[in-house]
Amino acid sequence: MDEILEILGEVKPGVNFEGETDLVESGILDSMTIIQLVARLTDEFDIEITPLDLVPENFNSVEAIKALVDRLAD
Amino acid sequence: MTYTSYLFFFGFAVIVFMVYSLVPVKRRWIVLLVGSCLFYAVNSGFSIIYLAVTTLTSFFCAQKLTRIQDDFKAAKKELSKEEKKKLKDKVTKKKKLFAGAAIVFNLGILAFLKYYNFFAEQVTNVFGLFHLDFEMPLVRLLLPLGISYYTLQAIGYIVDTYRGKYKAEKNFAKLALFLSFFPQMTEGPIGRYDALMPQLYKGHTYSNENFTGGIILVLWGFFKKLVISDRISYIVGVVFSDYNDYSGLLIAISAICYTIQLYTDFSGCIDIMTGISKMFGIELAVNFRQPFFSRSVAEFWRRWHITLGTWFKDYVFYSVSLSEPFMKLSKTAAKHFNKFFASVIPSAVALFVVWFCTGIWHGASYKYVAYGLYYFLIILIGTLLEPVFAWLSEKTKANRKGKLWGTIAMLRTLVLVVIGMMMFRADSLMDFFRMFLRMITTFDFNEVSGGLVFTLGTDKHDFFIIAVGLIIMFVVDILKERGTDVLSKVAAGKIYIKWPVMIGLIMMIVVFGAYGKNYGAVDNIYAQF
Repeated sequence: MDEILEILGEVKPGVNFEGETDLVESGILDSMTIIQLVARLTDEFDIEITPLDLVPENFNSVEAIKALVDRLAD
Repeated sequence: MTYTSYLFFFGFAVIVFMVYSLVPVKRRWIVLLVGSCLFYAVNSGFSIIYLAVTTLTSFFCAQKLTRIQDDFKAAKKELSKEEKKKLKDKVTKKKKLFAGAAIVFNLGILAFLKYYNFFAEQVTNVFGLFHLDFEMPLVRLLLPLGISYYTLQAIGYIVDTYRGKYKAEKNFAKLALFLSFFPQMTEGPIGRYDALMPQLYKGHTYSNENFTGGIILVLWGFFKKLVISDRISYIVGVVFSDYNDYSGLLIAISAICYTIQLYTDFSGCIDIMTGISKMFGIELAVNFRQPFFSRSVAEFWRRWHITLGTWFKDYVFYSVSLSEPFMKLSKTAAKHFNKFFASVIPSAVALFVVWFCTGIWHGASYKYVAYGLYYFLIILIGTLLEPVFAWLSEKTKANRKGKLWGTIAMLRTLVLVVIGMMMFRADSLMDFFRMFLRMITTFDFNEVSGGLVFTLGTDKHDFFIIAVGLIIMFVVDILKERGTDVLSKVAAGKIYIKWPVMIGLIMMIVVFGAYGKNYGAVDNIYAQF
């Protein structure tokens, strides 16, 4: 979780991500930031994220991102 | 299409609706298909062949993709991990070949019809530069109705099947209905198969709420188009055609007027089409979400022509930025730059591709390419400066979510959008530059106080109607932004609420609409793309 928070802080500085549950719909994470995030996640966790994974439900909160990473790492 | 065409269209839709209601529920989708084909054939004649070819290629390609995927699923059960990977690579290559061929073929048709003559002119010009006597022949090409919209729908369907989002449609007639559904043929919205097809296929029984809600939306669309858009178009036409005769302030006013014209014209048409679909019980994708309340240009594009933006995001931006070469680029960038720039560079390249395509989708002209790149630069600069903004707001303790910051950000976005619209409307890119230069160098407030503004093809009476129309529209938009959908509430309301509203809208359209012998019918702007 800490690693994900660290990456989020780098791609989108100045946001307190903990407790946020609406990151995509509220516009905090737009498609460009999501792609930056995906590039970092694939590199960091050695996973493959496909366009089908790029849905708001997978990126709306830190927990959702963690769940996506865990699922793809399996 | 002009408003008279829309009246005809509405009449046609009512007839289809009556037949739809008389046929058994299970067969109702066939009425929609026959109605859509009839509509297309009447409006476009032999051009229906293009639509048929796109439907056929999409149908067979998607079938093949699903078969390949199913075969792979069956075969991999008995394979080792390594063998599975090998087979997957082979299958992916095969799928790419089929999907790529179908996409290139359909895009090729669109590109040839839309851009061939522009390309031929440029080639001739290049030869001319070297004093070579070569002229690439021009061809008289007619753009089939809705080709820019249904081609994107077809490509979206092929890509989704390729990605395994859903299985291919087995019934050719159903896919034909998805690609030809008549309300979205003129200006979109660009529908998605998984959201639209189940609704089209399901026979809907009559619902009073849907029917009245649909009629109110249709009236609302006509109100925007006839009372505001077509009336304001005169100011825009006068200034944009002779901008050298006007000073900066009037040019700025005309650019704002064009922004309003485009919004009321395009969203008005979408409201009419969404209303017609709603009568049948079918919800089309939302294409506008109060765009003028956006705090950034990126947000504006998430609220304006939404279905085009999401199409480019899902099928171009994500495809490009998640592709192997881009992932490699990302890793290379990580070695040479700091973490922030390393992650920005690949998405910036993908963003460039998206905005270049968005620009050129609107038409074969340098101004459309520049229009796309203008937004690319603004969004890129915004992203690059984001750490600076975050640092500044932290240092100054400014609340970026606060009202003051929000209002400033909204106004800044509006200014940038109006400049973009000016480029969009100008006759050419050079005209835009000249016009923009004139706007910022010759500001003269006397033109307004001297009453010259009332000679822009309109008088005080016109201005009054436009102002009242805009106030009504923005009040409805503000309420929607705050979570109250007035039109839906009216549709679901008591009879003594909805009837006066409907009659009021009809009266306003009939009395204040810009039609009749003193007004020329104005074509819908987005129907030409």
